[in-house]
Amino acid sequence: MSGPLLHLSGVGKDYAKLDTDAARAKLVFDLLRGRGVARAFCALDDVSFDLAAGESLGIIGENGAGKSTLLKIIAGVITPTRGRVDLRGRVGALLELGSGFHPEYSGLANIDLAAALLGLAPDEIDAKRDEIVAFADIGDHIRDPIKHYSSGMVVRLGFAVATALRPDLLITDEVLAVGDESFQKKCIAWMENYLTGGGTLLLCSHSMYHVQKLCRAALWLKDGRTARYGPAAEVAQAYLAYHEEKSAGAKRPIAAPKAKAEGFYAIRSIALDPPGRIAAGGSLAVTGEIYSPDDRTPVVLIGLVRADGTPIYGVASDMDGVTPVRVAAQRFTFSLSFPQLPLLPGKYVVRAHALDPEGVRLFDNVEQAFIVEGATRELGLVRIGHGWNGAVPH
Amino acid sequence: MSATPRPAAPRAIASATAPNLARDRALFKNFVRRELFARYLGSITGLAWAFVHPLALLAVYHFVFTTVFRAGAMNGKSFLAFVAVALWPWLAAQEALQRGTVSIAGYAGLIRKVAFPHELIVYASVTATFVLQLVGYLVVLAVLALFGEPVHFEGLLLALPLWLLLAVAITGLALGLAALQVFIKDIEHILLPVLMILMYLTPILYPLSLVPESVRPWVAANPFGYLVDRLRDALLDGRLALRWSDGIAIVVAVILFAGGRWIFLRLSPHFEDFV
Repeated sequence: MSGPLLHLSGVGKDYAKLDTDAARAKLVFDLLRGRGVARAFCALDDVSFDLAAGESLGIIGENGAGKSTLLKIIAGVITPTRGRVDLRGRVGALLELGSGFHPEYSGLANIDLAAALLGLAPDEIDAKRDEIVAFADIGDHIRDPIKHYSSGMVVRLGFAVATALRPDLLITDEVLAVGDESFQKKCIAWMENYLTGGGTLLLCSHSMYHVQKLCRAALWLKDGRTARYGPAAEVAQAYLAYHEEKSAGAKRPIAAPKAKAEGFYAIRSIALDPPGRIAAGGSLAVTGEIYSPDDRTPVVLIGLVRADGTPIYGVASDMDGVTPVRVAAQRFTFSLSFPQLPLLPGKYVVRAHALDPEGVRLFDNVEQAFIVEGATRELGLVRIGHGWNGAVPH
Repeated sequence: MSATPRPAAPRAIASATAPNLARDRALFKNFVRRELFARYLGSITGLAWAFVHPLALLAVYHFVFTTVFRAGAMNGKSFLAFVAVALWPWLAAQEALQRGTVSIAGYAGLIRKVAFPHELIVYASVTATFVLQLVGYLVVLAVLALFGEPVHFEGLLLALPLWLLLAVAITGLALGLAALQVFIKDIEHILLPVLMILMYLTPILYPLSLVPESVRPWVAANPFGYLVDRLRDALLDGRLALRWSDGIAIVVAVILFAGGRWIFLRLSPHFEDFV
């Protein structure tokens, strides 16, 4: 086999907007004539990616971003309106709760049904049944109708069935969120083992921890479109930063009066070097210009905050006993560098404030965002030097 | 698996209806078992009901027509035999259509989560109905013969292919109606009175010869009337010779099946949004 196991190009899905019976009748008529949906809501648009055998991709995004629609298209449950999906191999899909169980039937009967749906021959089913029952580990409940199961038990059984097949591509949608701690561990152990054994995984999760732990790459869907696609750590960090910004957006206090008018000390410009993106552990320089209405030397305060506004570090020129440089009447410049910035990958903001020469009154607040890039699974904001004592490397 | 890329729509249809025969056969068997189980084979007296039910029905008809209405001989046969031979295929067709039309909704959970050929649902539903009704039919014929009615069992050589033909035609209708039912929920409610009217317009409870000359061609044009006629020929008179109309019946059945399936395959990729 050559080429990727799964290839998507320009995939999109429209859903019909139907509010009346007449609209439904018209839709049927249009479909029979081989036409598309007339009034449509676009749930997914222009999604493209490749997934090679043995790789793992995490799908992340807010509720309603189109994650489940995308997974269902890949699983073949729904037909995409646009674009193209090429899939080579056997798919095991765990979409939402329970991969197509019938509520009236017992766990055992549902194992048979699920196995038949997945294309197992009857003798194969017999061989796998015990394995499935053992993995699900729900005791005698296996003989009860599924409708009496808790959601956790349904997921256990669903996962056990989907994994027993050893599919070429395993699609899971939020399954890890439901199981209890020990079952989650079992699932993650199974998935890691499956990945090590050359399996391919498509994981949809709200847990960036799981995505970063299990997936090499990630796709961030936003309003049905690809917001970002790349290495899992990078995309997960961008996604988290987006959420931090979003939650901070509503409550961000005005740190200082917007004192742009003449007569106040003001930051005229700031620039970052390198601009926008730096590598984790790299250096960052902040330069800028301050306006001083009375030509006295102002104080500049530079702060580093996380995208949601959490302060990390701040330092003013007068604390270090330095002053901005006067370059012309009423114009001063400053330049500050952070060698080996210890920030962990993520989205941050540099804040520059202009203060009066006494360093007492704060006049202006200018922000410049930047991103720290890197692939690390360390948690938090800054890297703190550390060493394990007596530990053995593996 | 083929290495050539395919456009999206055919792929999805292919994944749902690709000739994965072993899988589809296993799935079909599972569905049929599920249908049978869901009716009454799951109960303790299970299989017995498959026999008791048609016999009880036969006894009721005997009471109503022979004892109450005192219906006499019909074309030289007892009225009970005359009705029974035609009524069971009708019951099979009616039940298969009604169950088949609403069958998709019962599999909503699967349709939303697993890719499989949706037409298997309708096939399984119709098959389960026909199997049960055919068993009932054979039981009824045996009991009629036991009570001295002149049943020609060699007529089954023609009767069974006729049942098959009926099943093919009904499957086609059920496919079309089931697909429409997913989008337009009124179908099942319209179906009941339509079937009722059709039953009385078909010479099941009366012979065509009693119909006034002026409307007889209209009643005779009813395709189900043809079937009833042929079944009576075969099972009550032992006449097995083929006719031209048999060829037409085959063509009609195939057209109904193909047409119904065409509608179904057009609409089934969109079931997921509506079930």
